[in-house]
Amino acid sequence: MTETVTEKLRASLSQGQWDRALELLQQLDPAAAANLLMTVPFEQQQVLFRRLPVDFAAELVAILPYFHAYVLLHSRPIAEMHGIVDHMNPAERLQFFDELPEEAWQRLMDELSGQQPAEPGATGVKEAIEPVVAPIEPIIQARQVEKRFARPDGGEVQVIAPTDLSVEPGVILALLGPSGSGKSTLLRILTGLTQPSGGEVLWHGKPPSESRPNVAIVFQSFALFPWLTVLENVEVPLVARGVKQEERRQRAIRTLASVGLEGFESAYPKDLSGGMKQRVGFARALAVEPEILFMDEPFSALDVLTAENLRSELMELWTGKKIPTKSVFLVTHNIEEAVLLADRIVVLGRNPAKIRADFRIPLSQPRDRHSAEFLLYVDYIYKLMTQPELEAGPLAAARTAYQVLPHARPGGIAGFLELLNDHDGTEDLYRVAEELRMEVDDLLPILEATTLLGFAKADRGDVEITPEGKAFAEADIAAQRALFRTAALSHVALLQQMNQALTSKSDHSLPLEFFRDILDEHFASDEAQRQIETVLNWGRYSDIFTYDPETDRVTLDQPAKAADAGPGAR
Amino acid sequence: MPQPAAKTAPLLPWDVLPSSVFALLRDLPIVAAGLGLFYGLLTLAHYWAGPVTTQAEIQLSLGALPKYAMFSVARITIAYCLSLALTLVYAYVAAHNAIAERILIPLLDTLQSIPVLSFLPPVMVAMVALFPTRQLGLELGCILLIVTGQVWNMTFSVYSSLKSIPREMQEAAETYRLSWWQTFIQLELPYSAIGLIWNSMMSVAGAWFFLMACEMFVLGNRDLRLPGLGSYLQTAANAGDVRAILSGVAVMIAVIVSMDQVIWRPIIAWSEKFKFEQVEASQTPTSPMLDLLRRSRVVSHLLRVSLIPAREAITLYFAKRSALARHGQRHLRKWMGVGLSIAALAGILYAMGKMTVMLAALSRSEVRSIFWGAGATFLRVELTLLLAGLWTVPVGVFVGLRPKLAAIAQPIAQVAASVPATALFPIVLLVLIRAGGGLSVGSIVLLLLGTQWYILFNVIAGATAIPTDLKEVCDIFHLGRVERWRRLILPGIFPYLITGFVTASGGAWNASVVAEYVRFQKRTYSITGLGAVISQATEDGNFSVLLGATVVMAMVVVTVNRLLWRPLYGLAATRFKLEN
Repeated sequence: MTETVTEKLRASLSQGQWDRALELLQQLDPAAAANLLMTVPFEQQQVLFRRLPVDFAAELVAILPYFHAYVLLHSRPIAEMHGIVDHMNPAERLQFFDELPEEAWQRLMDELSGQQPAEPGATGVKEAIEPVVAPIEPIIQARQVEKRFARPDGGEVQVIAPTDLSVEPGVILALLGPSGSGKSTLLRILTGLTQPSGGEVLWHGKPPSESRPNVAIVFQSFALFPWLTVLENVEVPLVARGVKQEERRQRAIRTLASVGLEGFESAYPKDLSGGMKQRVGFARALAVEPEILFMDEPFSALDVLTAENLRSELMELWTGKKIPTKSVFLVTHNIEEAVLLADRIVVLGRNPAKIRADFRIPLSQPRDRHSAEFLLYVDYIYKLMTQPELEAGPLAAARTAYQVLPHARPGGIAGFLELLNDHDGTEDLYRVAEELRMEVDDLLPILEATTLLGFAKADRGDVEITPEGKAFAEADIAAQRALFRTAALSHVALLQQMNQALTSKSDHSLPLEFFRDILDEHFASDEAQRQIETVLNWGRYSDIFTYDPETDRVTLDQPAKAADAGPGAR
Repeated sequence: MPQPAAKTAPLLPWDVLPSSVFALLRDLPIVAAGLGLFYGLLTLAHYWAGPVTTQAEIQLSLGALPKYAMFSVARITIAYCLSLALTLVYAYVAAHNAIAERILIPLLDTLQSIPVLSFLPPVMVAMVALFPTRQLGLELGCILLIVTGQVWNMTFSVYSSLKSIPREMQEAAETYRLSWWQTFIQLELPYSAIGLIWNSMMSVAGAWFFLMACEMFVLGNRDLRLPGLGSYLQTAANAGDVRAILSGVAVMIAVIVSMDQVIWRPIIAWSEKFKFEQVEASQTPTSPMLDLLRRSRVVSHLLRVSLIPAREAITLYFAKRSALARHGQRHLRKWMGVGLSIAALAGILYAMGKMTVMLAALSRSEVRSIFWGAGATFLRVELTLLLAGLWTVPVGVFVGLRPKLAAIAQPIAQVAASVPATALFPIVLLVLIRAGGGLSVGSIVLLLLGTQWYILFNVIAGATAIPTDLKEVCDIFHLGRVERWRRLILPGIFPYLITGFVTASGGAWNASVVAEYVRFQKRTYSITGLGAVISQATEDGNFSVLLGATVVMAMVVVTVNRLLWRPLYGLAATRFKLEN
């Protein structure tokens, strides 16, 4: 029954029969309607939502992801917004308000109380025209691609779970995820640099053996050839395509001019600043007029100002349709960057990588970093990335059996807690990141470590210090180590395991290799190495054990004292 | 579209001709050098195509010296070109084909520990048999011998460079669909260039060492001589002609120094652009010779009409080919690889079988002499290294800690190191035998001559690299002389010292072949040692002893490398690495 209604609805949408579609939408129960709404292009969502009766819209607002509901709500006049909010049942309304970050909530309050009239277009949301949208054929389509790596002991580690992902023309897609989540591997699978262990990648519906995708990659490390001049670097891919010297030169010079490198043709990359180098990287990529421009963290090797400048120039080229690419695929770990640039954001979870959320950002360009809508998305993605159990997609979280240690240093943990304590113990995460000038990639492990140790609690984008955390933040150095030790031994499985193994040995000493083998069973080799480094760091800091690199052995730190201190520390 | 008139080529290449007298003068040396090269090639061709003169009479007159020097240089040049070609092919295949890699790299590791001079008899016999009536055979033998001496470290350097190309650079080459040729010429070769050039310099220095030994030797009943600097020096020493010896050595040093100035300096200065660094270095090597070449209109015109269009044509040809290429060819190539590896494996097995048969022919006393010899040479080599270390470490540190002194001493040590010890052997022997010392002392002096320089300039480099702030820490805490050496200087120079020792150790084993068994003034001097066994077997044409001794030497060298030097090297690279 539901199935057929859904199909009919899609059909009527594609034919532009809005009234029929509205009628069908209201036949569904609100949950199904919300699900369906999320699958159609945002412009269509807006048109539909605008015409829905107030009571049905109120039910949808309660069900839809809050950031999405917030944006849709703003596509209606203020009086109707009032009506919709009034129609929500009190508990749901409270939850909706509660989930909104402070700026967005404040703004909504002002609008509803009439202090700040909501002008049309003030939200920065693209105005919906009533489009007749033909089904878009994706340029590239990954079907159930997955990646497994061999472990040293012969087993396999899954780094990317079977994943579907397609890139349609006309969008900037940002792939977000914490470091080590396999974003770059996914990019390499899509571009054909890496073969997936399973599944397939189709270009215009054809397998790679039948089609030679025209792609270009902008690399994090620029990957310019230092022995070639700027001009020669841009000519490299043209030479590979057999373009003759004279034409090649002219095309390269044109492309260089378009990225603002006129006059730098005969310079060598080493003479240029980082930002200029990356411009050469862009020019080289654009010279082949790629269908999709892939970018692997293109701005993360640059300083903040240079990166910002380059981003806005890229957006000028893109929105001005001055670059010949149909789509841009951006891999990044910078949440703000993704929200600033992307039309569509895909968030990856890790261990193994899988898509946790895939949504559109319907804000018009250029975007204002301080607008309520912008912060709404930033806050939402923070929530998503800091709370593994919060799922936006239909995929359920498959938690790995083995506890993964976040790669944070005790010093970082202490600094974070002290800052949090100074902020009265609770704060929005993106504000903490802003204050510390840290990217989410650096902040996440610290946050994970503090929550793992029970020093703080992360809840929907906020972080709150616990009594243990407060005690830790206020303690002196020696006491901090003792508190860390207690917390680590009661929360960290690997440290417990090591402590037990060492205690039960008569000489309280074991080769590190012993623990390395255990970890190798659960992690890919470089991840196992990082786990070892982190656990050594924590264990040495908290005086649980000492490690001698010369003999590669781990020894219990003052076993006699440790045995006494065990009960005493409680 | 009609081409503009200005684009059509003029009938006469007037633009080649310098427009001013000054420019003409500037190009004069290059034109002269070109003519000289041409004349030299003519002479060589004439001589090589001539009938065999295996026992060429070596004239000791000074007038003959330039000709001999030219012959030696020609041999080294040809050998180097061959080595370069072999290096590129070998390293490329090893780096790109996983199956070949598993065979080629261990093979390389073994081959580079075999003493080159034991290749001499088989190579010579084979080459003389190939060209029985032409001088070419003997020359080719000599050249191949040099190749076996210099190719391995070059190959290793290129291979490890190819393997360490940053992943994103390789991905850029792949994404932008570079043909294998374009990847090679624009990424792989430039990336390997610096390592290849430094190893080429080392290899050519090594080539002089072996050339001196193999221009004149006895093989079975044949006394083989090739006209060259090496044979000139040996003949002069045999005749006890001090004037000839001194002038020979002087010419040799002149040749080595001028090759350094005319060839290596410009190449090093030019190779600066291949440095894989993203920031401009503050100090870059310069070469007046390179500036001369760069400013020359003749050279730039030659490049414009020959090299650049040729490179363009080849690159576009491969670009078109790779655009057409489909996956089928990849399979073909894979099968070809498998086929080749099977053939190589079969060849190795066959050779092993043959070797076993030959080794089985060894008599008990021969086996005993081989093992006794191995023990004696082992002790001699280690004693030499110890002696070398004892004097070079204090001297090197003394020099290295004084920057002004180091600036003077470093180039001298480098020139001293590049003068082949084999060229000096006759002189040393002359002195030793007149002084009455036996070869047991003499051989150690000979080994020292060949090895100490490597250690010396490595120690100087190490001491120079000790950071000033660490020296200041020692001053602040009033560390005594002993403490200072223990805490700072020895750990600081450790990695450099080990590098020096590794190079010196390999060199010493090789040198033992010429140092333990010497024919001098119609007499043979010899002491117990593996090198003496090899030389003796070469002279007697006893191939099974030669093979047995070579295998033992290779095994000893490999074992010492694995058990002693590699762990120390690992320690140097981790614990004693000074990071700035």
